[in-house]
Amino acid sequence: MRSVIYAVLLGLVGAALLHIVIILALPQFTGKDAYSRVLGLYEMDSFFPLSSQPGPTGLANEDPFLRVAVCGFSVTASPMRFVARGDVPFWSLSVFDANSNEVFSMNDHTAVNGNLDLVAATPLQLIDLRKTPPESLAQSILVEMPQEEGYAVLRALAPMDSFEETVRNFLAGAVCEPFSR
Amino acid sequence: MRGLRAKGLLTKSISIRPSPPRIPLKIPGSPLFRIPLLVALALSVAFGVGIVASVSALKATVGFGAIALGPWVAFPEAQTENTDPYAKAHRARAGKLLYGGAEGLEFTAAKDTAGARLTSLCSYDITGLTPPARFWTLRAAGADGQPIGAGPELPDAFNAWTVLREADSSFVIHVSPRAKPGNWLAIRPEGAFKLVLTLLDTPTAGSSGLIDLAMPRIVRTGCGNA
Repeated sequence: MRSVIYAVLLGLVGAALLHIVIILALPQFTGKDAYSRVLGLYEMDSFFPLSSQPGPTGLANEDPFLRVAVCGFSVTASPMRFVARGDVPFWSLSVFDANSNEVFSMNDHTAVNGNLDLVAATPLQLIDLRKTPPESLAQSILVEMPQEEGYAVLRALAPMDSFEETVRNFLAGAVCEPFSR
Repeated sequence: MRGLRAKGLLTKSISIRPSPPRIPLKIPGSPLFRIPLLVALALSVAFGVGIVASVSALKATVGFGAIALGPWVAFPEAQTENTDPYAKAHRARAGKLLYGGAEGLEFTAAKDTAGARLTSLCSYDITGLTPPARFWTLRAAGADGQPIGAGPELPDAFNAWTVLREADSSFVIHVSPRAKPGNWLAIRPEGAFKLVLTLLDTPTAGSSGLIDLAMPRIVRTGCGNA
């Protein structure tokens, strides 16, 4: 009887260890994390507008008043530039790395002139950009990526149905493309 | 004499006969079977409890670091590198596009102000004001966070512009499966639901507690057909 109690206690210690291992290792192998879902859209280097119903990857506009577009990107070869212009009541952008950690976020009030103009780059590319700043990036916000891959989420607000077209044009006109001089 | 010899022979023959193999017959006392049994018990406890505890911990909460204002709960750090391993595992499993710090903060309420679980068989009033934010949206969601969709012709969400306000700019929103006058947030009578209040561009996330943050109250007004 005592050995059974020992076995159960040993099992509980093992359960605690296993619990810690599962929790720590889960982000590496779920395959359902936000970055994997963004990659599953097969739309790199452009903003992909999400629909209200969950698509095959399970991503959707969760908030009925916010329209969302995502862009998976990699800064391995060249920096990425994000540009969007338009008169929407509110927009916001978040840049995440491949582990879905927030790298940078902003909204229209923290942007220059209310327009989105952002460049994400590796530290080496940033040094290069700052040494000889290109004319076209004079107003851009420069963001350093801790990893080479990531995704950007652009949200625009449509408080009423009449804003629908403006918001759709804003997201359709948003650019997420590799930057080259 | 004869009988004695016969007895002696008999005893000899018994002592010569090899003793029967005892091990497979007596399972409880045998170390050969007890040890694998104990190992199997320890392993099944380890894997069973370990997996069940992990799954239920990830289902129960988004992680540590919640700010709770009455029934409303938000996780302002859940999308950052500095968050705890539970939040990282949870967000990797849920795969949602989380709000960045400058974008907004999403509060969810699964209980009313009195502490009872929200059920769509009952009606609730959401009264008061939101914390300072440029914009807010309010919607009802199922237990899995997906919209419960009362139907395209019914009002299933409100925002800071569409809500009808009192003279002091506070608002009363009636959450009910039955039509109500004023601000009616329609829900389907299907069981438990959550209320999701998203504050866009709000200082609430970075608040040091110096501002008195007042969230709207959720009060149950009646159940069933009452």
